[in-house]
Amino acid sequence: MSLLAFLVACGAGSLFGLALKPSGLLGKLACLAALGSAFVFALLIGAHTTLTIGEVVLKGSQYAGLFLAVATGSSLLLCVLALGAGWPDELAPAALASFAGLAVAITAADSGVALAAGAAAATAGALVIVRAAPDSVGVDGGLAEIRTIGLVAASFLFAGIAVLRPPWSGGSDSPVMVLAFLGIALALAVRSGAVPFHIPASHLGQTGMPFAPALILVWIPAGLGILALSWSAVVFRNGSDWLNATVLLVQVVAIATLVLGGLAAIVHDELDEVVAYSIVADSGFVLLALAARSDAAAEPARLWLLVFVVAKTGLVGWAAAVGRAFGTNNLADLRGWLRRTPLLGVALVVILIATVGWPGGAVFEARASLVRLALPGTMQLLFFASILLTIAYAGRILIIGAFRPGADVAAARSERPRLWHSTPAVVATVVAAADTSGDTSGDTSAETVVDAADLPADPSADSPHAADPSPTPESGRRVPTHVLADLVATWRLNRTLEVSLLVIAGTVLAAVVALGGFGANGASQSGIPMDIAAHATATPTPQPTNSGPPPTEQPTLAPRPNGSGSPAPSGSVKPSATPTPVKTSGPAQGDAG
Amino acid sequence: MIGLAMAGALVAIGGSLAAVVSRDGRLVALGLLTAMVAAPLASSPEPGYLTMVFRFLGAVLAAYLLWTAARSRSIDSEGTGIGAVSELALAVAAFCVGWFATPVKPLAGPLAAQAAGFALVGLAIVPLTSRNVLRAGTAVAILGLGLNLLLWAWIGPASSLQQIVTTALLVGVVGATSLLMAPAEESDVAADEYDDLDYELEIEPDQHEIEFPDEPTPTLPDPEPTGRARRLGVRESRR
Repeated sequence: MSLLAFLVACGAGSLFGLALKPSGLLGKLACLAALGSAFVFALLIGAHTTLTIGEVVLKGSQYAGLFLAVATGSSLLLCVLALGAGWPDELAPAALASFAGLAVAITAADSGVALAAGAAAATAGALVIVRAAPDSVGVDGGLAEIRTIGLVAASFLFAGIAVLRPPWSGGSDSPVMVLAFLGIALALAVRSGAVPFHIPASHLGQTGMPFAPALILVWIPAGLGILALSWSAVVFRNGSDWLNATVLLVQVVAIATLVLGGLAAIVHDELDEVVAYSIVADSGFVLLALAARSDAAAEPARLWLLVFVVAKTGLVGWAAAVGRAFGTNNLADLRGWLRRTPLLGVALVVILIATVGWPGGAVFEARASLVRLALPGTMQLLFFASILLTIAYAGRILIIGAFRPGADVAAARSERPRLWHSTPAVVATVVAAADTSGDTSGDTSAETVVDAADLPADPSADSPHAADPSPTPESGRRVPTHVLADLVATWRLNRTLEVSLLVIAGTVLAAVVALGGFGANGASQSGIPMDIAAHATATPTPQPTNSGPPPTEQPTLAPRPNGSGSPAPSGSVKPSATPTPVKTSGPAQGDAG
Repeated sequence: MIGLAMAGALVAIGGSLAAVVSRDGRLVALGLLTAMVAAPLASSPEPGYLTMVFRFLGAVLAAYLLWTAARSRSIDSEGTGIGAVSELALAVAAFCVGWFATPVKPLAGPLAAQAAGFALVGLAIVPLTSRNVLRAGTAVAILGLGLNLLLWAWIGPASSLQQIVTTALLVGVVGATSLLMAPAEESDVAADEYDDLDYELEIEPDQHEIEFPDEPTPTLPDPEPTGRARRLGVRESRR
C-alpha cells in the first residue's frame, strides 16, 4: 500500500504542480505537500511491501525504500531552500515524475519493466532545461538533452531485451550482452556527464533552471546507476575479449572522469561549473562499480549512491545559497564569503567530509572498495588522488572565502541574526526618513519594512549601506507597531540565516548517511528485486580468455574494506541455478507477502 | 488475407515514415499518433482492451503535446535529409531484413512485429543525427517503438505494466521533444530577424548613424551621371 501511495503522491504532485504553476503559491504548496507525503510513504516501504499490477509484482526492499526516502527528502529540503533562493517552477514536478518512474524501476521484479521505467524516469529531466537555444559557446541544451534521453531510452530498452534472453539462433548471446553492457555504460556516462561527455553538464548553469543539476546530474543518474549495477550482474561471468575491451573502455572513462572532473572543479571560477564538475567527478565511482564486474562491488556502490544523492544535493543547495546571499556565482567576486556566512562554510566542510569520509568510515571504505575492485594495482593511487582533488577544490573555495570581503560580499547581508523590533529610535529614524521622502503611501509590507530596518539593525556590518547612517529616501516607510508585523519583518530580515540553516540541515543528513546511519549499511546489502531477477537468468557460457587475474585479486594500495566491501556476494543476491527462465518475475512473486 | 498483426505493422511503418519525412510539425504529430496507435496491434496475442485504451490515450496525449507546441510556436521539422524515396527504400529494406532474418529462433511473437521493428529502427537512424530537436525527438520515439516491437517479437507479448511503462516512456520522449524544441526554433527566427536588420543597416548606413567598419565593404562605382542629374551636378560645381 505504501508503494501505491508513493506512486500516487508523486504522480498527482507532478500533475498538479504543473497544472497549478501559473497560480504560484498553490503550485508550490502542491509540490511541497506531494514531496512531503512521498517522503513519508517512502519511509514505509520495506521488504514486505508489494504491489501487483497485472501479472507483474512491484516488490519493495529496504534499500529501495531508503533510496526513495533519501531522494525525496533531499529534494524536499532543496525545494524548501528554493522558496528562499528562487523557486524554479518545473523542478519539483520534474523530480516527482522521475521519482515515480524510479520507484517502479527499482521495485519491479520484471527486468523489462524495470529498465523501461528507468528510461521513462530519465525523460523528466527535459522539464528543467529552459534555455534550449544555443548559448554563446554554441551548446544547444535542448539538443543535448533529447539526445541523452534517446541514448538512455534505446540502451535501457535494448538491455531489457538482452536480459530477458531470447533464444538467439547463434547459440551464444555474448555479443548481445557486450553490446547491451556498452549501451548501459554509455548511457550512464552521458547522463552523468562523465568525461568526455561533460560539456552539456558543465553548461547546465546556462541551459538549465536553478537547481537543475540536482535532478539531471544527481537524482536521475543515481537511479539509473542502481539499475545498471543490477543489470550488469548478468554479464559478470561473460569472459569474452569484446567484453574485456568494453570494460577497459569503461575503466578509462571512469578514470578520466575522476581525475579530469576533479581538476576542472579546481580551475573553474563559476560556482555552477565547480558544482557540476564536482558531481561529474564523483559519478566516476558508479562507472567503476560497473567496470568491477563483481558482486562485491554492488554493496559499496549502493551505499555510495545513497551518500552521492544527499551530499551532492547538499552541494547544489549550498551553491544556490551562496549565490542568493551575495548575488554572484563567480569566485573572484566571492572573496570573503566565509566571513559573512560562516554557517555556509561549515556546511561546505560537512559536505566535504560526507563525500570523502574518513578512514574506517562507511563511505570512505565504499569508495576504496570500488577503486580496489575495478582497477588494477597500479591504479590504486587514483583513490587518494580523488580525495586530494576533492579537498583541493573545496579548500580553494574556503580559502577565497577567508580573504577580505570584496564589494559584492560586503554589500550583502550576513548570517548574523537580527531581531526587528520597533524601538523608538528606529521608529524615529525611519519615520523621519519617510517624512523626508514625502512618502505617504502607507505601504507597510514586510519587505519594505525590512528595507527600512536593514540600516540600523546591523550597524556593525562592514557594508556600504551600513556605513551610511542616513537611510535612502526609497527606504523610508511607515513602521508597523504590530507584533505580527515585527515577526514577519524579523523573518525576512534573517533570510540569509534561514537559508544557511536549511543547507546545514541537508548536509547533516548527508553526514549521517555517510556514517552509515538510517540503516544505510544494512539496506545496501539488500539490493533491489531486479538483482534477484538478473541473477535468476542463466549465466552465459564461460569462455577462456587471456585476461589477467580477476580484479578482486589485485594488490591494493587503498585501505581494505572491513565488511562492507567483502568479496562475498552482497546481501541476499546469489546466482541461481535456474536453467533458462525467460520471464524473470517469478522469484519476486514467490516472495510477495 | 492480411492479419491484424501485419496490418498493425504496416500502418506503424507508414505513420513513422510520415513523421520522419514531413516538414510540418502537425503532420509529424499525426504520423507519430498513427504509429503509436498501430504498433501494439502488431503484438500477438493482441493486448487487452484496457491496455489498448491506455496506449491510445497515451498516443493521443503525446500527439497533442507535439501538435500544440508545433502550432503555437509555428515549428516545423527539417524534413527528411536523404529524400522521401530514400527513406521509403530504407524502411522497405529494413522490413525485408526483419522478415527474412532469423536472429531469434523460434520467434515468440509474430514475424510482422520483428520486420516492423527492424523497419522502425532503420527509419530512426538517419534523423537521430539531425541537429533539429523535433526531428531528433521524433526519431527517438520511433526508435523506442521499434525496440518495443522487437521485444514483443523475441520475448513475447508484454505485460500490462510493461505496456503502461512503455506508454509513459513514449509520452515522456514526445513531451520532452515538445518542451525542448520551442526555444531553439524561436532563436532561429530571432537570428534571421537580426540578419535582416544587419542587411538593412549595411545598405542605408547614413540614416542610422552607425560607424563604418575599418575596412569598408566594396561598393559598386557610382554610375556616370547622365541627363538632368549631370546638368545639376555641373551647376552645383559652378556655385
